[in-house]
Amino acid sequence: MTPVAWVVVSALSVLLVALLAALLRAGRRAGRLRERLDTASAELERLEHAFARFAPHAVVEEVIARGVSTQGERKEVTVLFADLVGFTPLTERVDPALLVRILNGYFERMSRAISEHQGHISTLIGDGILALFGAIEPNPWQSNDALHAALAMRAALADYNRELTADGLPMLAVGVGLHRGVGVAGLVGSQDLVQFTVVGSAVNIAARVQDLTRAHGVDILATEPVRAALDPRFSLQALPPASLRGIAEPVQIWAVQDFVPAHVALPTG
Amino acid sequence: MTVLHDIEWEACLLEPTRDPALERFVRQEMGGVPPIVPYFEVCPWVVRSLMAINQYRVRLVHVSFALADLIGLVVSQENSCRFCYATQRVLLRAQGLPERRIRQLEDDFVAAQLDPGERAALEFARRISRCSPRPSGADRATLRHAGWSEEAVKELAFVATAHVYFNLVATIPALPVQRLERLSGNWLLGVFAPLIGRRIRAHQVRGDRQPLPPELRSGPYAGLVQSLDGLPAALALRRVLDEAWQSPQLPARAKALVFAVVARGVGCPRSEAEAKRLLEALAMNSAEIEEALAHLGSGSLDALEAMVVPFARETVRYRPVQVQRRARQLSGALGPAQLVELIGVSALANAVSRLCLAVESP
Repeated sequence: MTPVAWVVVSALSVLLVALLAALLRAGRRAGRLRERLDTASAELERLEHAFARFAPHAVVEEVIARGVSTQGERKEVTVLFADLVGFTPLTERVDPALLVRILNGYFERMSRAISEHQGHISTLIGDGILALFGAIEPNPWQSNDALHAALAMRAALADYNRELTADGLPMLAVGVGLHRGVGVAGLVGSQDLVQFTVVGSAVNIAARVQDLTRAHGVDILATEPVRAALDPRFSLQALPPASLRGIAEPVQIWAVQDFVPAHVALPTG
Repeated sequence: MTVLHDIEWEACLLEPTRDPALERFVRQEMGGVPPIVPYFEVCPWVVRSLMAINQYRVRLVHVSFALADLIGLVVSQENSCRFCYATQRVLLRAQGLPERRIRQLEDDFVAAQLDPGERAALEFARRISRCSPRPSGADRATLRHAGWSEEAVKELAFVATAHVYFNLVATIPALPVQRLERLSGNWLLGVFAPLIGRRIRAHQVRGDRQPLPPELRSGPYAGLVQSLDGLPAALALRRVLDEAWQSPQLPARAKALVFAVVARGVGCPRSEAEAKRLLEALAMNSAEIEEALAHLGSGSLDALEAMVVPFARETVRYRPVQVQRRARQLSGALGPAQLVELIGVSALANAVSRLCLAVESP
């Protein structure tokens, strides 16, 4: 082989090696990018699955596709509004870290009671809970579910209070108001904070009925539209109709006592 | 590999059992006994139903086997059925579909560059499994616009609801998923795809239109079955419904109640009306039926019915671990054959009500 041929062959070999190295690097880079894309895509799907528990699929998909959702829909829902009784004075006398621990334990238990009965928590307002039944998916048994959730909350709080007492901590008491009505369901909020919720008088009535629990010395109150759709095996006690701020007509309310699996007739009050 | 790994899944509720005669029949029909069969052998109609409405055996007329497999993947993903999802992935990879292509399909139909007809079909399947909002005539119109005939739309709906059925049959008892999930990600599947794919394709026999014989035009949900008339799927559905109804493990009234509760939960008035008709024929009056459906319980229900009615409701929306826990609670009170029959009947009720909505709702 002539020296010129040697030079040409060597130069070509160097070029070939350089080309192969470049290809290898590009391949590795593409592999890393593909891996990242796969991770991102799996993460997105995981988020979609997770969010489907808090908003309807169509809303979640619209958010993923367009970043926002303007879908709003009139829906008949059962609203559960729960608030801790006498919590404000507690905030002033209990150590803040302890208070947060007590509150988180409370939310954890209430949240479980609600989700086990097909409800979803729309929002936490201070120590208050706004939960909805029938908002994400159609639910013909929404009122029964809401009442079962309220009774499960009562039982869970009793258990929690035993734990708190054993630790020498103050007990908690809750007031729950339930109302069934039509509201507008959708993603509501600002660009920085949105939540899937229902707006309308149904929510206001549930919140105001919850306020009445203190006056009546009971923990769970339901309105007539809830009672009308209710399983007769729930034991209820009729209370005098109540005037609610912003509502023209007095509202018939019922104190919720228990659920008796054996068939019993509803009291007529 | 897949986010469904994150879905909580209980330990399997069922013990495998062996029925040599049934396994012989399965072997003759399928060329082998799939590993899930022993879990259901205590209730033979459930085993036969898994074969009868399987897309490879039902002799599809309009829907391609490739699309039917994709529908299976999408519906199983939608329903968070880890077992069927892994099964569909194995089937697709064994037929030579690369992992990347499967991921594209899982992520986004548009990015997966499907043709408009396929995309519309997969969206329809997804809507059937969700039933929120319910499928309607508008969905069928979209499919017609995308080039599907009226009869093809019905076959698409059948394929999607058959997967709803498989998903529930696998999800409620929490069939073991670990081995399948490992297999679905195994690179060797790709290597052996040409061999396995050929074997799978040997089972894919296309069908011809065939009218429903007169003797199969009656029975529970006769109207729905007749709406599929002309498709081999109608025959398959008729046989599964008849076998489910004739099986002695659960009383007919308990089964009709399951169908009625699921129909109400899904929101299908036609399916509910048929279930009520069946209940009335079994000497339950309309007030008793309404009370049981409105409140998922009633003084007129016997002890078994009082258990299965609230359970049926749990099967309507796909919350795997929740329905698996409820099934476990029931397993102490029911015999193994009764439990498997309840799983099959609940799954069938969901498939039937969704099919009814998909092909008949205005």
